[in-house]
Amino acid sequence: MAAINDGMKRTSLSARRAVLGLYIVLAVFLVGLIGRLGYLTIIKGDDYRRLAEDQQYNDSVLSSLRGTIYDSEMNVLAQTASVWRIQINPSKIEDDKEMGVVVDGLSTILELDAAKLREKIEKNKKYGYLIVKNEVEYKQMSAMIQFAKENKVADIIFSEPDTKRYYPDGTLASTVIGFTGTDGNGLYGLEYYYDSSLTGVDGKIFTLRDARANELDSNNKIIYEAKNGENYVLTLNNEVQTVLRSACLTALEDNQADNVYGIVMNTKTGAILGMCNVPDYNSNDPFTISEKAQAEIDALETDEEKNAAYSNAQQLQWKNKAIADFYYPGSVYKVFLVAGAMEEGAIDENTSYTCHGTITVGDRTVKDYNPIGHGAETPLTLLVNSCNTFSVYVGQRMGISLFYKYFEAFGFTEKTGIDLPGEGSPVAGVTYHSPEISFTNSNLVSVSFGQSNQVTPMQVAAAISAVGNGGKLMTPHIVSKTIDDSGNTIRETKPEVKRQVISATTAATVTSYMEEVVKRGTGANAYVAGYHVAGKTGTSEKTGITDTKAYIASFAGFAPADDPEITVVIVIDNPKGARYSGGDIAAPVAGEVFSRILPTMGIEPTYTDSELAKLSEPAPDMVGKTVGEAKAELSGTEHVVRVIGSGDTVVAQSPEAGRTTPANGVIVLYTEDNTEKETALVPDFNGLTVSQANQMAVNRGFNIRISGSSFSTDSVVAYKQEYAEGTELELGSIITVYFRTSGISD
Amino acid sequence: MQASASLGKSSEKKYGKSLIGQYIKSRGGLLAEGSFDVLLFIFLSIIIFTGLTMLYSASYPNAYTDGYDPSYYFKNQAIGVAVGVVLMMIIGKMNHMLFMEAGAVLGSLVSIGLLVLALFMGGSDDGSSIKRWITIAGIRFQPSDIAKFTLILTLAYILHRWHYLMVSKKPLKTNIGWVDSFTAGVNRKIGRPVFNESWKIVMGSLVVIGIYVGLVFLGSHLSGAIIMLLVAAVMLFVGEIRPTWIAFFICVAILMIPVLMMTGILSEYMVERITNFLSTDKDLQGGDWQTIQALYAIGSGGFFGKGLGQSVQKYNYVPEPQNDMIFAIIIEELGFIGGVAIIVLFALVIWRGIVIGVNSPTRYGALVAFGITFKLALQVFFNIGVATDIIPNTGITLPFFSYGRTALIVNLVEMGILFSISRASRMKKV
Repeated sequence: MAAINDGMKRTSLSARRAVLGLYIVLAVFLVGLIGRLGYLTIIKGDDYRRLAEDQQYNDSVLSSLRGTIYDSEMNVLAQTASVWRIQINPSKIEDDKEMGVVVDGLSTILELDAAKLREKIEKNKKYGYLIVKNEVEYKQMSAMIQFAKENKVADIIFSEPDTKRYYPDGTLASTVIGFTGTDGNGLYGLEYYYDSSLTGVDGKIFTLRDARANELDSNNKIIYEAKNGENYVLTLNNEVQTVLRSACLTALEDNQADNVYGIVMNTKTGAILGMCNVPDYNSNDPFTISEKAQAEIDALETDEEKNAAYSNAQQLQWKNKAIADFYYPGSVYKVFLVAGAMEEGAIDENTSYTCHGTITVGDRTVKDYNPIGHGAETPLTLLVNSCNTFSVYVGQRMGISLFYKYFEAFGFTEKTGIDLPGEGSPVAGVTYHSPEISFTNSNLVSVSFGQSNQVTPMQVAAAISAVGNGGKLMTPHIVSKTIDDSGNTIRETKPEVKRQVISATTAATVTSYMEEVVKRGTGANAYVAGYHVAGKTGTSEKTGITDTKAYIASFAGFAPADDPEITVVIVIDNPKGARYSGGDIAAPVAGEVFSRILPTMGIEPTYTDSELAKLSEPAPDMVGKTVGEAKAELSGTEHVVRVIGSGDTVVAQSPEAGRTTPANGVIVLYTEDNTEKETALVPDFNGLTVSQANQMAVNRGFNIRISGSSFSTDSVVAYKQEYAEGTELELGSIITVYFRTSGISD
Repeated sequence: MQASASLGKSSEKKYGKSLIGQYIKSRGGLLAEGSFDVLLFIFLSIIIFTGLTMLYSASYPNAYTDGYDPSYYFKNQAIGVAVGVVLMMIIGKMNHMLFMEAGAVLGSLVSIGLLVLALFMGGSDDGSSIKRWITIAGIRFQPSDIAKFTLILTLAYILHRWHYLMVSKKPLKTNIGWVDSFTAGVNRKIGRPVFNESWKIVMGSLVVIGIYVGLVFLGSHLSGAIIMLLVAAVMLFVGEIRPTWIAFFICVAILMIPVLMMTGILSEYMVERITNFLSTDKDLQGGDWQTIQALYAIGSGGFFGKGLGQSVQKYNYVPEPQNDMIFAIIIEELGFIGGVAIIVLFALVIWRGIVIGVNSPTRYGALVAFGITFKLALQVFFNIGVATDIIPNTGITLPFFSYGRTALIVNLVEMGILFSISRASRMKKV
């Protein structure tokens, strides 16, 4: 015991210093650990927390559905639909037999080339993922999955949901609507312009998960709901667009033109009802270029050139040229010239001018297309004759600054502001002359008849509408409203008046002149009986583009003249036929568009007495009368009667009672119940005058409705008919036949 | 002292004449008198309670994914606490001098036996060369957990029993002719006894340390071996080893590092762990996944923590969150504040251990108390150091927190010994 005590005493004494050192070392370690802990939790804490949450929260996307685009009648123009991607896991194919089953099933159901598919699978044998086909429809997809189940290859073949943008009619309004890329984002047109609002906002679900991806706590879930894209209801009308585009396509072909542009809009509100430029493309297949363009590219030598040309051709076909391209409006501009001059008092209704065929301003002499001259004229006949010399005279009376004032006021120096991408931007000194930059007295001569200042078809449509709209220039728009999925309106476009350009009185006067232009002037081919079309034609030279003379033929107008509803602008770029004037080739297109859409727009025709006498009247009601009575009654008219059946009483008639029928047309009376309606084949009216055509129709048992020029002269001939030659139609049917005057100079 | 003396008088009657009785009598009786260190008891109780709570929180997701009842680990650990605390109470009541020969001889035999056994029948789950686990009677444990403890007892015994050799300046005498003539020659030449009697005890100690550390090292338990070496060093220091020896050891240690590296004694597994640690660009999927996930957990905790039970990282992100990385989960739930509290609690226990050692009436008690305390300190530092990415990823558990019944029981037994020494110590005991 004593020994232990002894040792202990010495130990504790000598160890004290060492123990102190030990405390210090431990204190250092203690502080070090706490310091490190503080650094990790307080300074680096947020960083680590974020990294931790990145791995702890599994976010899955709730895809938003891209909005649908509708026309004004809620017909679908663009819609996103569910499709599926068929995939396989090549690495799971065990043997040749299984390979055979897989290749067989895929190639049969998905309509793929079996040999190519096998090769593709062999090449990817090592991998666990191979896309076999994209954008597979539900029916095919379910057939595929059913096949996989039945043949025990469900672990090899599977499907994944995807979406696809559908355009029920991909060519109808492709340059307006545009298209989307493979990832569903809008690349062109409205799809591009309203991309973000169409796209909506993807939602996300954040769920807390353990390291093995099991959901941890259902309460600890952060959900951001997906917001579907807004649905767009356009002012564009399917029927109008269909009429417009087919008319433009015909014009393109008939005239071997480079482009044909067409715009139909509501004269009062600026709502676009139809807009197209052809040639165009298919929104469902936007990357394929036209055969003609492809042939031109194939002729090129190097790949580099080919690629450049290919991409150029694509860009060109995607462009909405109706709002992007500039051209010389030609004589159409005279409407704005006269309107401005009258508004400013530079001329009035009675201003007289004698056209001798030429006019000299300074050292420049302008020749009218009519070398003899139009003789004594007033502003009315300036437009009716489309007189260049008088226009130059009016321009000179106005002077540069007044002329420019109205050029600007009608909106030609600015974008119209339509809610579409890619509108052409006017540039002073480039697309038009401004007093500050390039407007000289010499220019004033040419701009007075529409050369030398460039405009876009859209600008012309807006400006001509201003004349029809009591002088109020509207901002054109194509989106009527946006709606949510339950149809509630989110945003609505209100018609927007840009400015009062001319007074209502001036507008009314100019409108009446324009009506005369169509009634008896260069616009005669746009005449539609009962609808009082007002308009102006234009033919401009494309200068500096080709060595050979190239023209732009156009028509701009609206109807009905007394209360304008519909504006139509047709521009034909570089027609190559013998006839190239606006009156010859553009006015009939506009006339056709007017005649086909005005009745569908709920606009009642108001016929003048002479029109009625010449053309048509409501068919009288003969049903219930005896054959004798009916014959007796109709004998007092110009109608030709055809009786079918051996009954005594009329049980049915064609055309039905009340339908507008040519006064000298056919009325077919059926006297027996359940008689099959008799039919006949439609004849070819092409080249016939109005009376010849009527005669031929009556002989076959049909009636014609005349559209286009109303002059019953030899120069007015049929050029187009509603039903093609040889079509089988019921007797008494009414066939619209389009007539036009040929040889119009402007 | 009075108490010990009076105990001696009555002991013969009490303990009989058997060998054990004789032993007990020669050591001053079975039970210690005097009160135990209440402060240590309080601190330890808080640690044990907190440890068990946090183990439950950290372990239940893993228990679930391992296919057990969510409280599986908690229940097992609670059993360990119960057994350990009972043992601690019993041992804490005993006279610490009883552990001298018993602890050294029996302890070393058992430990070395188990370590050797582990080398032959031990294995690891992933089939690597790590041979530090052993399963006996359905209980899976690391023999090194026990060996660390018995090495302390053995060294304490040696350094206490032959302390006179450690401080002796008498020339070395081995009774081996050529050795004695060589050492005498050297001593004569230098003019003072460089080869003195301390060689006997130092070399003796080194042999014991060498056997222990060598076996643990062969079992690929580098961190265990390092802890043993450091604890042994502290004990030699407390055992009044001469400064010249310390200088000598430092020189040898420095020379050894390249040798270890070159000869490949440091296995690839250990090298990989160290290089992983040294690289700044941590490979998430590689070996340091555990460390990264621990840092995420710690960072997520912030200042106040997410609250008890709210850790997300314990859901399989931190592998086996109930084991080595439990501290990271604690910080995620209790924050910086909780972490500091736990570190301070451990510091307080370590402080009491040192106080008990310093005031021990016996050198043996002082050596044991220092050994146990320092071992605890090292384990805590190593474990938290790994979790906070200060030191490379080793396999050191956090005493009283990490899951593992053997280690827990051994730790509690060690605390029992501290209590038993505290009863004899002459400090103020609250």
